Amino acid sequence: MMSSLSNISLADLSLVEAADAVRTGQTTSLELLNACWANLEKANGRLNATIWLDREGAQESARAADAAVRAGGKIGKLHGVPMAHKDMYYQAGKLSTCGSNLRKNFVPTYTATVIERMAAEGAYIYGGLNMAEFAQNPTGHNKTFLDCHNPWNLPYITGGSSSGSGAAVAARMTYAALGSDTGGSIRLPAAACGVTGIKPTQTRVSRYGAMPLSFSCDNVGPLTRTARDCARILGIIAGHDPRDPTSAREPVPDYEAALDGDIRGMRIGLTETYFLDGADAPVIAALEQAAKVLAARGAIITRIKLPLMEAISTYMSIISRVEAATIHAQWMRENSQEYGQHISGRMYPGYAIPAPYYVEALSRRGPLLKAFAQDVFSNVDALINPTIPTCLPTLEETDIDHGPPGTEHAFLAVSANTRPYNYLGLPVISVNCGFDPNGLPIGLQIAGRPFGESRILKIAEAYQRDTDFHTRRPPVLA
Amino acid sequence: MEDFSKATEAMIATWHGVQPPNDPGRRLVADLVHTIRAFEKLRGTIQFEDEPASFESALLATKEGA
Repeated sequence: MMSSLSNISLADLSLVEAADAVRTGQTTSLELLNACWANLEKANGRLNATIWLDREGAQESARAADAAVRAGGKIGKLHGVPMAHKDMYYQAGKLSTCGSNLRKNFVPTYTATVIERMAAEGAYIYGGLNMAEFAQNPTGHNKTFLDCHNPWNLPYITGGSSSGSGAAVAARMTYAALGSDTGGSIRLPAAACGVTGIKPTQTRVSRYGAMPLSFSCDNVGPLTRTARDCARILGIIAGHDPRDPTSAREPVPDYEAALDGDIRGMRIGLTETYFLDGADAPVIAALEQAAKVLAARGAIITRIKLPLMEAISTYMSIISRVEAATIHAQWMRENSQEYGQHISGRMYPGYAIPAPYYVEALSRRGPLLKAFAQDVFSNVDALINPTIPTCLPTLEETDIDHGPPGTEHAFLAVSANTRPYNYLGLPVISVNCGFDPNGLPIGLQIAGRPFGESRILKIAEAYQRDTDFHTRRPPVLA
Repeated sequence: MEDFSKATEAMIATWHGVQPPNDPGRRLVADLVHTIRAFEKLRGTIQFEDEPASFESALLATKEGA
């Protein structure tokens, strides 16, 4: 290892720094893997962030990556960077449990497009990360593989459904992890674990080979420690995929190049309606402080009341329920006891929602997006609001399977601020903007127009230039 | 409320062959009355539509730089 990296833990490098260090010979891929593994061995017994591990396979990949550097071979943008992903991205011949007992031995025969695209840039995978069963909860509870714990304060939720992705990135066990986001499942664990996560525009990233939950609202995206890292991964995985005909044909911008420059004159709307309903004081204070940071960078902060939120919230509440219930119908008939109660219990009402309600919710989506965009984006370029409006609850407080009646309401409230953006299909990034009195991170959502990922990444990166929340290490690593 | 829940559970069993999996499922079926009320509030906001609406085209029509 070269002297410039000798005084810091290699696992503390960002993804971009780690990739650059391998490319320039300052370190090796094997050293990166060993650094991540040291944190895994230190923290994972308390976090339960992984489902399966393949250290030998990863070591083999690392050695091959290092040999390629020595030989002057092709060096991709993620060359030699070890990763682990939410255990629902298919790799031919490898386990993909989807966090479930029903698929605990499932071995797919094909590989997800996003996995192939990252591998083509030199990334490799050392394991599958814990997740909510079939990506269906906002907390991180899991009946089969057991609950994932928050690296900042173990009894608290990690957010879900990409629970292991949030915990593993925060605990420096991986430089990045894919999550999936149907109602907030990238942004919630990003917020709760103090990392950065982006849900791209609906249709921006191929979903081929990613376990489905809701065909209308599923999204694939990364969790990392910085906005720049998200930009790098998004630039690799975004773009049309012939194997996913729902993926957009829009050209993919250079997201990393778009981070340069400032945000002076950018109009940012601080949402006053809906997103602050029932918000806790520490969360509101963190939001206001974040707005000041952006204003100091030259952004123009406008307080804005959002239109149509009642309709958006109502329609969103049924689409994923109906689609999940439909996908899981056979298992719900024959094996419903195999699910956690909070999973089968949530899907069950989906069978009672009338088809005209579902069709209405889908058919209004386009017109409501147009009306929302006309009303909002004629006045502002982006929106900010809390990712989770309250201080984080504990796993116990949101445990439907073992808690008293009514627990489901605390459970569902976690994703109140994330779901509307899935209905609208907008790109949204969540960054850490402070900590609550329990030492748990607070998330800031930054949303933009469809295909406006460059803008929200730029705002997030500018925010991270002036704050250090994203660099802090969780106590589980102490 | 009890009548609503029983009728809804019977309808699910008849149309889908799915039985109530547990108490949270039963409670969340009862909560569907809130969904019905929410949809009631939206009545009148939708008119007869002559042309199909496309969410994907709306994404493009409202995109950054459009």
